[in-house]
Amino acid sequence: MGVDTQAQGRGAVRPPIGIALDGDLGNRIDAILAVAMLNGLTAKTEARRISLSVSRPSLASAQIADVVAGFYRGRPVGGSAGGVGAITEGMIGMPEGPASGNDTPPLAATLSRKTPEGTPAYTSAISGPVGTAESAVLIRNLLLAQHDGNAAIVLAGPSTGLVRILGLYRSGPQITAKCKQLVVAAGSFPAGPADPAIRNDVAAAKKLFAEWPTPIVAVGTEVGEALPYPGASIETDFAWAPVHPVVDAYRAFKAMPYDAPAPALAAVLYAVHPDDGYFKLSDPGTIAVLDDGRTRFTPAADGKHRYLIADPAQKDRVLAVYTSMVSAQPAPRPGRGRAGA
Amino acid sequence: MIVTGKSLPRRTFLKGVGATVALPFLDSMVPAFAAAPKAPVRLAFLYVPNGIDMKNWNVPQEGALPAELPRILKPLEAFRGDMIQIGNLTNNSGRALLDGAGDHGRCAGSYLTGVQVKKTTIDIKASISCDQIIANKIGHQTRFASLELGMDDSRQAGDCDSGYSCAYTNNLAWRSETQPLPPVLDPRVLFERLFGTGVILSPEDMDRRARYRRSILDFVTGDTKKLQSSLGPTDRRKLEEYLSSIREVERQLEKAEKESVQIDPGMDKPYGVPPDFAEHFKLMSDMLTIAFQADLTRVSTFLMTREGTSRSYREIGIADGHHPCTHHQGKQELIDKVIQINEYHTKQLAGWLGNLKSIKEGDCSLLDNCMIVYGAGLSDGNRHLHEDLPTLLIGRGGDYFKPGRRVIYRKETPMSNFHLTLMDRMGVPVENFGDASGHLDPAPLT
Repeated sequence: MGVDTQAQGRGAVRPPIGIALDGDLGNRIDAILAVAMLNGLTAKTEARRISLSVSRPSLASAQIADVVAGFYRGRPVGGSAGGVGAITEGMIGMPEGPASGNDTPPLAATLSRKTPEGTPAYTSAISGPVGTAESAVLIRNLLLAQHDGNAAIVLAGPSTGLVRILGLYRSGPQITAKCKQLVVAAGSFPAGPADPAIRNDVAAAKKLFAEWPTPIVAVGTEVGEALPYPGASIETDFAWAPVHPVVDAYRAFKAMPYDAPAPALAAVLYAVHPDDGYFKLSDPGTIAVLDDGRTRFTPAADGKHRYLIADPAQKDRVLAVYTSMVSAQPAPRPGRGRAGA
Repeated sequence: MIVTGKSLPRRTFLKGVGATVALPFLDSMVPAFAAAPKAPVRLAFLYVPNGIDMKNWNVPQEGALPAELPRILKPLEAFRGDMIQIGNLTNNSGRALLDGAGDHGRCAGSYLTGVQVKKTTIDIKASISCDQIIANKIGHQTRFASLELGMDDSRQAGDCDSGYSCAYTNNLAWRSETQPLPPVLDPRVLFERLFGTGVILSPEDMDRRARYRRSILDFVTGDTKKLQSSLGPTDRRKLEEYLSSIREVERQLEKAEKESVQIDPGMDKPYGVPPDFAEHFKLMSDMLTIAFQADLTRVSTFLMTREGTSRSYREIGIADGHHPCTHHQGKQELIDKVIQINEYHTKQLAGWLGNLKSIKEGDCSLLDNCMIVYGAGLSDGNRHLHEDLPTLLIGRGGDYFKPGRRVIYRKETPMSNFHLTLMDRMGVPVENFGDASGHLDPAPLT
């Protein structure tokens, strides 16, 4: 992903929907899988990943995002890849704030993986906060380059970074014009325990659900549990890549074999294909965030919020999309011409 | 002018027929036993077009500027301790954002306005620029609310870049969303504006003045003598130096007018504009120095050449146009020419900075009380990139900035954030501007 602000012309044919993904890539394996899935959907020209940001101010999280995004851009891995850190085409967003130190150790293990020759398997161009963009600004800037209503935001982590957009000058009308909907992979619906993604960031989540100007669709943990990413796919579907950061992260995240609950994948699939019947949708209503981090859905005919419901009849179909898209090879890169005269 | 035993008013002028000369700050303007007043902070934006070769511009590391500066900055080595090189400022409004080609039109039109300009050659639309927000607020304190200077093209109509009006490429300052402020290109016009009485002399009058070789200072001799007799030795010397600088500008003007020949038929130059780029720049910047020194204005924009210019630089052996050279597509021969042009521009800047630095204001220099922003609306002119815009902040803004370093902000940091910071420093705090996400973190700058 570059800062793809030249790609579309006002009069040009509308490209596939653009997805801005903001995820907790330090703590949630489904957020990393979501990056892979967006690559697969991009390869099939069903979607475009317009921006990638991490939900917490964590450098390791930004680095894993950069490594995964770089992998799908065709950055070499392993061996003599020492110089590839200089590639800075992709830009990773990260919220402002004091560094968060709660990255899962397995991700650090992934980042420090060595090749048999002893060189780093993966290199990131990000060595400090200045190597990243503030996520709210990055997302805003890239939304502005999209056709009206031809973008969606997927949030799979704390809301702190994303909610900052609401404070940017003139952002309300800009979000409303460009962003078709916000899909939030967090919460429990219609009721359930507090999701850590919300519990650890209650104030921002409250603000997000209360003030976000577009429709919001929430994807609760129950959807993630009902439609987990099959661990067997990791063993069988990635043979084409002997060194793959998503595979390494998956393996490092938890003892194999395991199926990973994946609300972020459901969120991406729904954001890209809302009308294809992969999921059921609740009636409209309003989602409120309680002080203890639980979410409460109140039906209301004029409500802007809904939540996603896993449809058992669609399970096989959904999982087939998950596995084929997540394990897809890097999308061919569009030709790069000079940007206007 | 009436001279009394009391302190001189700050707004003292030497007046004569058709001439008004403002004075620089003199010690005698401070009442006895009073603390010296703080010199005002001045702000100038000096803009260069078509981006800059970033490999030869950017200092790689944050922190103190190294002994060895990149090639394009080398002419500024004497000012290492006066400048901050700022990295990663981005002008998102300069990007296409669905409007297709026309990066030159967009990047200049949005450089100080922070908004996406309307793609049109007719019903232009941008927004008030940050310099004009400042001028609106503090401009009443000086004779000129702001000064807009330029060097090569003042067309306000027509298509200058892929459907963008020339009003976008040829102006930096915007009084309102539909009203650009065209720059003054002709040094004689600027001179008359600064030192005349507002009456525009006819060509015949100008000829008469030239024929008799009379200096504008000759018209204010009476006031000058009266003033000199009342000044102490330090102020007398200061005044003499100041008047000499005006005389020097006049001499340069006369020379330029005498030698006014069109050596570049591709350029549309008004009468009296020196054919030599460096001479032209020196004249314009010398007058801006005087305007700052005499507190005639505190805000200026200076378009060194218009955005997208295809001006050639034969004076340094480059017959190709600047713009075509920047689309080098990796050809080293053309890249070298771009670097040469970039370096030539910073050489001119160095001359001006030397001038500002040589002028004392109390315990510091005029440069210390300035914020000179030198930069471009594109970084890589070949790829038309709008991020990591080349930006130098020179001067201390009145003992506020701590120069001598390279500061890198996070990627995509809006240029408008920088403008908010500058407006604050000019005493014009503004909450929202352009696409700002907030002020720049002042810690690395101060």
